[in-house]
Amino acid sequence: MRLLLVEDHVPLADELLASLTAQGYAVDWLADGRDAVYQGASEPYDLIILDLGLPGLPGLEVLQQWRSGALATPVLILTARDSWSDRIAGLKAGADDYLSKPFHPEELQLRIQALLRRARGLANQPQLEAAGLQLDEGRQSVVCQGTEIDLTAAEFRLLRYFMMHPGKILSKSHLADHLYDGETERDSNVIEVHVNHLRRKLGREVIETRRGQGYRFGSASA
Amino acid sequence: MKSIQRRLSLGLVAVLVVVGLLLAQALLWVFEHSLREQIEVRLKDEAESLIVAMVRGPQGFQLSEQRLSAAYKRPYSGLYFRIDFADTTWRSRSLWDSELQPGDKPGLQEGLSQGPQDQQLLTYRGDYQRFGQKLVIYVAEDYTPILKSVRNVQVIGLGLGLGALLLILILQRSIVRRAFGPLENTRKQIAQLQQGQLNELDSQVPIELEPLVEQINHLLAHTEETLRRSRNALGNLGHALKTPLAVLVNLSSRSELEAHPALRKKLEEALEQIEQRLSRELNKARLAGEALPGAHFDCAAELPGLFSTLQMIHNRGLQLDWNAPAGLRLPWDREDLLELLGNLLDNACKWADSKVQLQLSQGSDGYRLVIEDDGPGINAERREDVLNRGIRLDEQVSGHGLGLGIVRDIVDAWGGDISLGESSLGGLSVCILLPSRRLAIKAK
Repeated sequence: MRLLLVEDHVPLADELLASLTAQGYAVDWLADGRDAVYQGASEPYDLIILDLGLPGLPGLEVLQQWRSGALATPVLILTARDSWSDRIAGLKAGADDYLSKPFHPEELQLRIQALLRRARGLANQPQLEAAGLQLDEGRQSVVCQGTEIDLTAAEFRLLRYFMMHPGKILSKSHLADHLYDGETERDSNVIEVHVNHLRRKLGREVIETRRGQGYRFGSASA
Repeated sequence: MKSIQRRLSLGLVAVLVVVGLLLAQALLWVFEHSLREQIEVRLKDEAESLIVAMVRGPQGFQLSEQRLSAAYKRPYSGLYFRIDFADTTWRSRSLWDSELQPGDKPGLQEGLSQGPQDQQLLTYRGDYQRFGQKLVIYVAEDYTPILKSVRNVQVIGLGLGLGALLLILILQRSIVRRAFGPLENTRKQIAQLQQGQLNELDSQVPIELEPLVEQINHLLAHTEETLRRSRNALGNLGHALKTPLAVLVNLSSRSELEAHPALRKKLEEALEQIEQRLSRELNKARLAGEALPGAHFDCAAELPGLFSTLQMIHNRGLQLDWNAPAGLRLPWDREDLLELLGNLLDNACKWADSKVQLQLSQGSDGYRLVIEDDGPGINAERREDVLNRGIRLDEQVSGHGLGLGIVRDIVDAWGGDISLGESSLGGLSVCILLPSRRLAIKAK
């Protein structure tokens, strides 16, 4: 899952980057509203966290420009302006959720999870479930037929993305786009290695290889 | 304060009555005075003609019958005389058996004397000498017909005067009303301003009213601008304080602190206190309260946005409904009302099982807002506590206490009343009574 964080307060952005990365998200960080308008629309983000008090261009205008450009990515507004009239203005501009500062990191984590699932049309379940697997996002482990299996950070990120898109064919480059932030070197062989690790831990049939097209997760049940 | 119209009417009536009466009385007096002068001349002539009619007869003086006016001979004719000699008195036959009161000084007598048959007599006294004898001649004329016609003139004059007064009052009323038309217009506009139907007064007014209207409009704009600026400044302040606070809150949940749970707990408590206090005071400072007379909240325009925001925040299939009379406008600031309703509905949504309802209605003495949910509700004995301290009853659902605290601040600023009860849906019902603007101002 790749997120865009638009926040001009550096210490807060540092904290958020650290905790979001620890939760297995690939995060790009921007501080200027004008950059955000461009990058938010051009990169394939799964979710955008937007502060409203931005230099360059106010957050609400950034959001309005994205929405008028038909960008459908879920946007979570993170702001100190927590009056109801501000919240309504945020919603009208096209926000999907609203979190006011200061907030607990767990609260942000839950909102992000809920928004990502809602965007995928998945029911509001406490745990992500697909193809007989239950993913524990807090502990970064998976339960398969009653046994809990530990995952590495990279495996967790990959499996979560697969479980969010069960039955879909996902190319290696698509996976790379959504699993790595803009700074990381992309190497499709690395994805192949992690897919093989997952197959070894969960069984071969969990991820199907479609030659020339990519991978498909949960094909057995789909 | 009495109305200007009434004052003008009263003043005009008083002036017209006093001046009218004085004028009428003076005219009457002049008229009567000149009449009396004429009569005096006539009576003097009569007296002199009596002297002339006096002749020496066989038994001394006597009045020549031929020279005597016929009116002296006919009884009660209205013209009488009496001639006093040193030793005897002659009376005209017309007096018959009554007496003519003598006067004490020559010329026309001051008062009227009683004559025969209820006649009022005006008497003239002339002192003469004839044939070496002093004699006093009184000639009197009946004054009743003149008194009667004076009375008639008075009655007619009074009638005409009253009629004129009435006409003048009616005309004055209509003139004043027309002249006060713009003032009445401005008064109506101020009432509309108070009910939130106008944002400023119409500046097309007569020059006398221009400074007033201009000043009111200026004050309105100034208040609005001040409110906007201070809200903006508060927003900036909030942003500047809450963002570092967010950093601290995030830091406090770092894994490094897991080894020191007591330290983390203290840190979290202190941060929580700062956050609550900050939010409460910032929110309080943002309130417009009663400051803006032109403020209004259009239910049909604002509530859909609020409800879809609530739907978005509480994304768990709640059934949210609102119900208000068509075209209902509440005469308070939009942001204040959104804050009030937002916090109450947010609470209701947190606790509700499946349904939340908002009812707005307007009564004769104010507005009534009722928020109901089908959640667990609050025990009757704890409701007072919740209202008084704005405490949190359940730590798991955050913000319950804080939200009610802000609601209380808003309701207090408007002089309203808040009460908790049991909802027909099964949960809590929060009922807020807001006095309409004018009543609220009067109560102060």
